[in-house]
Amino acid sequence: MKEIMHRQAAERVYFHQDFHGALSCGIEYLHAHYGARAVREYLREFALTFYAPLRQAVREQGLAVLKDHFERLYRLEGGEARFTLSADELVICVAACPAVRHMRASGYPVARLFHETTRTVNEALCEGTPFVADLAQYDPQTGRSVQRFSRRTQGLQATVPGRTS
Amino acid sequence: MIPCTEFVPAYSQLFKTLERLGGKAAVEAFCRYLSANFLNNLRDLVAANGIRGCWLYWSRTLSEEAADFTMELDEEAGAFSIAMHKCPSKGRLLAWRHIEPYPDYCWHCDLLYREVFEPLGYSYEIDLSQCDQARCRIVIKGKKQ
Repeated sequence: MKEIMHRQAAERVYFHQDFHGALSCGIEYLHAHYGARAVREYLREFALTFYAPLRQAVREQGLAVLKDHFERLYRLEGGEARFTLSADELVICVAACPAVRHMRASGYPVARLFHETTRTVNEALCEGTPFVADLAQYDPQTGRSVQRFSRRTQGLQATVPGRTS
Repeated sequence: MIPCTEFVPAYSQLFKTLERLGGKAAVEAFCRYLSANFLNNLRDLVAANGIRGCWLYWSRTLSEEAADFTMELDEEAGAFSIAMHKCPSKGRLLAWRHIEPYPDYCWHCDLLYREVFEPLGYSYEIDLSQCDQARCRIVIKGKKQ
């Protein structure tokens, strides 16, 4: 039997959640072969470069920019998230991480350090801005989390590249 | 959380990190690991359905990736091909001007899928000569049905 399929990019929306499984696989590999620090350095470097325009916007406009960013992200991925924003603090309560949910449903292993895609990335998003990030709660089974961004207190270092915890 | 729409720059950075830590051999070793641990769905489809397994696998993945492609299956000849007119992954990497992509990003498609098909008795060829324009071609040939 012969079959031919033509598809044009405009016919579909770019949304392939299996990529979460591939990223998880990459994180687990890096962890197993080069250690936890390599995973955190990798994710920090990714976030610092790829989200450079977002970090610039946070510097200029504050936490509302991060709220918009995460609202778009969780809407796109079908995640339930609640946002509480003030001038000095943004709290995001995520009922379940859409990436973890997809991996669990599809049978992909979830990397031991997958939460660093939230913690390290959020911390890097705040580097060079007046804010700090804190992953206040995280459930590795579901990815349910409480993420807090708050105004940096005076004297706190702007970057935390040496953290090994 | 990194959304799946930003997976490609995350992977580009992963390849750069691996190369810095262990040279090109580290990237290659990781791709072999990824193929063995992540592409079992493709491997299982081909093992169960022969060359049609390629059609079944890429029909879904390329549609979800909103690729611009022509896919051909000839079961009698035992052949399958993808002419990728615009790869969504490479296209995005080229479009983001504020990041520098891993120079051999497309190389992983050679390693990943070759590791699936050759042990199953199929030949796998990929032409990456136009990957700087987000174009490539894959031809898989093997057991006649």
